[in-house]
Amino acid sequence: MGSLDYKQGLIKMKLLEVRNLSKVFYKRDKSETEVLSNVNFLVEQGECFVIIGPNGSGKTTLLRIIGLLEAPTLGQIFYNKKDLIKISRKQKVEFRRKFSFVRQKPVVRNTTVFNNIAYGPKVRGLKYDEYQERVNEIIDFIGLKGMEKKNARSLSGGEMQRVAIAMNFVVNPEIYLLDEVSANLDSMNIKLLDDFIMKIKQDKDKTIIMSTHDPLEAIKYADRIAVLKNGQITQVGTPSEIFSSPKDEFTAMFVGYENILHGIAEIDKNTGLNQIRINDIIITASSQLEGKVKVCIRPESIGIVKEPPKNTSYRNTFKGHIENIHDLGNICHLIVRCGSEKFLVTITELSKHNLNLKIGSEVFINFKATDVKIL
Amino acid sequence: MSNEIIEGILEGLRLIFTFDSEVWGVIEVSFRVSLTSTFLAALVALPIGSFIGLRTFKGKKEVTNLINTFMGFPPVVMGLVVYLLLSRTGPFGALGLLYSTSAMIIAQFLLAVPIIMGTAKAAIESVDPILKETVLSLGANERQLWWELIKHSKKSIIAGFLVAFGQAISEVGAVMIVGGNIRWETRTFTTSIVLQTRMGEFGMAIALGVILITIAFIVNYGLTRLQTRVD
Repeated sequence: MGSLDYKQGLIKMKLLEVRNLSKVFYKRDKSETEVLSNVNFLVEQGECFVIIGPNGSGKTTLLRIIGLLEAPTLGQIFYNKKDLIKISRKQKVEFRRKFSFVRQKPVVRNTTVFNNIAYGPKVRGLKYDEYQERVNEIIDFIGLKGMEKKNARSLSGGEMQRVAIAMNFVVNPEIYLLDEVSANLDSMNIKLLDDFIMKIKQDKDKTIIMSTHDPLEAIKYADRIAVLKNGQITQVGTPSEIFSSPKDEFTAMFVGYENILHGIAEIDKNTGLNQIRINDIIITASSQLEGKVKVCIRPESIGIVKEPPKNTSYRNTFKGHIENIHDLGNICHLIVRCGSEKFLVTITELSKHNLNLKIGSEVFINFKATDVKIL
Repeated sequence: MSNEIIEGILEGLRLIFTFDSEVWGVIEVSFRVSLTSTFLAALVALPIGSFIGLRTFKGKKEVTNLINTFMGFPPVVMGLVVYLLLSRTGPFGALGLLYSTSAMIIAQFLLAVPIIMGTAKAAIESVDPILKETVLSLGANERQLWWELIKHSKKSIIAGFLVAFGQAISEVGAVMIVGGNIRWETRTFTTSIVLQTRMGEFGMAIALGVILITIAFIVNYGLTRLQTRVD
């Protein structure tokens, strides 16, 4: 019940708090590298919290510290108000069992697929009869049926990653820590991974903290995003907040601007195209997804005109008015409201001048169905 | 002289293949002493060594240095130390162990412990840290992690046992001092070879030498097999 209320925004359960976390690595020559510096954030129960940042920004170290695999130099981590840094070795084992950690490069034990996946239940003291059914179910789910007795080390990279995810999934953890899990995977394995993450997300009690350097992946899964730059969190917010109003140049450069809308997609039987209903507007896209989706349109893909366009190949045209204008040198950002939705549009200063665009101007925006990304 | 060598070799082969009771007695003592000492050393050194490898603690560097120093401890000095401890006027003199196979086992045990400890520690430490973390993050406690790492590095650990055994069975100084080289009782391959050579009984010395080299070969063969085996 509580989790349902949370999803409606009534109750927010603080599950994990990272406070003033810093990590310094000392090298042999006594030089220091500060990998994380004064990191603070909250993670709520049931949410998918995505840490986005370029390589070397400290994502893996941050996840390893949360997973109690590494001690921070400074700072605290609270899990349900309990400080995890100060607890005993024995208690750490107990808390690690609430977490699971899937890393970018999977490592499996030198034994069969079955034994690898059964390891988590086994170390928790379960008997063979108690876990074998669930293990086999999961082997089936990851599409490795018939390979139970194969040595996991002889599998391909993608298969190994699936085993690694299954190893963590089988123990039913409270928090999933996923460290760039989709990197290096082919499209088939990405699809499987996606099924997994979506399955976890459906369970409203489960919390995901994942890291990625891929903005689209962040938009797809995140309830909230934290941007990590050189070991510091520069911004935390919903995908829409991050992608429509990045706080600094780095975030803008790294994540890029993106219009993110939430809607319900269905396939139009006549055209075969996707129709996505977003409150009172309908966007046409070329994807084949149905149901609840996120719609992404890059601001530079959106055209702007003053008169209703005729004979255009653009499938999406909406009437609106300019709510705000941000000048950024020779380009500018327009905020255009069309019905219930706001669009960020990037145009050149010259176009703005030529079209004589001002706050309050009535305009038409248009974009191609193929420029709409559906996640 | 060359005549003596050929005669010696022939005599040696005769002794081996006629199952000469003295030769086999020496073999029996050597194996009993070295296998027992290596086994006991493994029992003590494997848990301690692997535990040191598993944990990080203050003073670990110093402990490592100490183990490494003892890995190269001169056997003859170990013989002297054990002799002093077990001699009638020494602290353990009352046990009356000097000049017995027990004394030899103690000396070889003390030589084998640092070898097995050092190799076990290094074996555990050389396991991919990511595997350690994976096992931990799957919920293993320290004992389960330890067992996992032992299983993972069993090759190196067994190699450590073999090195310790090879060193024990071919060692001469310590067993000579604390065992006393008593015929039928504490005489081993090595002490016997020393004695027979001194007495000019090359046949016996060669026979034992051949067997000792064969053992060394088998141990080394086992080591190589271990290191090159692909699972």
